[in-house]
Amino acid sequence: MEILLPLASYSRTGHGLLLVLLVLAGLLGVSGGINLCRSAPLLPRTTSFLLAVVVLLFVAGFLGICWFHYQIFQQIALELPPPFAEMLNQQLSAMNQGAEYGLPLYRMDAPPRYMLPLWLENEKYYFWFMCYAAMALVGHLRLHQHRFRAALHLLLAVQVCILFFQADPFLAPLPRFFGEIGPWFTANMSDGQRFGLFMRLYPRMVFYYNAQYMWFHPPLLFLSYACITMTFTASVFMLAKRDLDMEILGYDFAKLGYFLLTLGMLLGYPWALKAWGPNWWWDPKICSSIMMWAIYSTYLHTRLYANKPAMWYFTSLLGVVCFLAMIFTFLSSFFFPGEHTFVG
Amino acid sequence: MKKKGSLDFYLVLATVAVLFVISTICIYGMFYFKLAQIQQLAPAEKLVYMNRMNSVIAPFIIALILLLGICVPKRLLPAVWLNRFAIGLALIAGGVSLWFGVKTGLALVLAASLLLQLVVLALAVGGSQLLHFEKSGYWVRLGSSLIHLGMILFVLDLFFYHYQSLHLILFWITTGAVVLGMIFCFYSQSVVQFIRSIRKD
Repeated sequence: MEILLPLASYSRTGHGLLLVLLVLAGLLGVSGGINLCRSAPLLPRTTSFLLAVVVLLFVAGFLGICWFHYQIFQQIALELPPPFAEMLNQQLSAMNQGAEYGLPLYRMDAPPRYMLPLWLENEKYYFWFMCYAAMALVGHLRLHQHRFRAALHLLLAVQVCILFFQADPFLAPLPRFFGEIGPWFTANMSDGQRFGLFMRLYPRMVFYYNAQYMWFHPPLLFLSYACITMTFTASVFMLAKRDLDMEILGYDFAKLGYFLLTLGMLLGYPWALKAWGPNWWWDPKICSSIMMWAIYSTYLHTRLYANKPAMWYFTSLLGVVCFLAMIFTFLSSFFFPGEHTFVG
Repeated sequence: MKKKGSLDFYLVLATVAVLFVISTICIYGMFYFKLAQIQQLAPAEKLVYMNRMNSVIAPFIIALILLLGICVPKRLLPAVWLNRFAIGLALIAGGVSLWFGVKTGLALVLAASLLLQLVVLALAVGGSQLLHFEKSGYWVRLGSSLIHLGMILFVLDLFFYHYQSLHLILFWITTGAVVLGMIFCFYSQSVVQFIRSIRKD
């Protein structure tokens, strides 16, 4: 694979960038911890500058991911010898008859290529946390309360630590994807075996890696997760002290998050029909997502009555519960089997 | 400030309660799925599980639809008539369910809600002052009407699950209505500014 793609240099550069991010986010985290305990702000300008640099570094790393995926598109194609291509098309035509969603026929002049979305495997954490960093910067600039800012910085530092120590997308890029396609390029296999491998790789390429919904469904959800984290932070502060500016900020992110979450979930629906057929409705991840959406809907409904003292606190509490439901929903992919599982 | 005992407030509380129960059933479904290893079952057995879960959640979906059925005409009718309408709708739906099955009864409630919501939408588009909304503003009202229309259409869409092309057409109308509704409702000021800028040009 190293002959086709500059894996080592991509990994080294990306990991180095992440290390710089870790140091800067660590500094933000330390200042956040101190600012949370102080009554007066400490180094407000420096922390603003640091946060802006962190966001820029995140964007630079994301551009690197875009470049890497473009290299994959350019260099990796599933090419078959001419006699097999003809046989394959006969088989595909037979398979497509009567099927609701068929596989496109093989074209010799344009063999299938991977158009990988930018949020695969560990890259999804990168995208999610980058979105949060950008939103934290918006929150930081909108509200000049040093403790609120400190909480945003602390959360960002935690996320960068998770990224660096547990989910580095650069250290071993896309291990599952390369594990799947690796045999196509490395193994010394017969033509029949190659044909069999193609029939395993091709449907997964069409219905998963190259699915157009993959460009909308996951990123919308990760963007909404970042919004929910912002609403959560504002809600925690609201539980401690009633503040109109804080409430408006939390509600603004809640509206955006709900919009993105609803749209993201809806766009998953036709994709699920296409990729899995009808038997996925009670999948654990779907259940937890509906649960999260129901809590979020409750939050927005109770917000209509936030001018009542009890509802004010209840709404803030729901903002916190929304965040917990989001964590639960995300982690459910690790602990519950089903179509969305990240394990095995 | 809303009145403590306002009908809207109690409808919101009832909706919250139903959503809470639906959430609880979803969590139960997740753990049951894992413990019973549903993913290992044959498709036919999996279908039995899905049907069983559908029957568990059905009463609460019915409750949600009924609440939606009451929420929609509340924008059109005064409280006394609304109560009469809700009781009438529940009785007719109950009768139809007994004679023709629950599915037909539900379809009736949905059809009535859809019809009323279309009237509400038409009035909202026309800027009518007859409607009772929580919030004022043309775009907020229009957005809220579209979101509720989307919700009704989504549940209706599930009824036409086996009709592939109609099902997907309805789904995309639902998505369009919800997306537009949320933009109008949540970002009404930006929409107004955008339209003003277009008119100036």
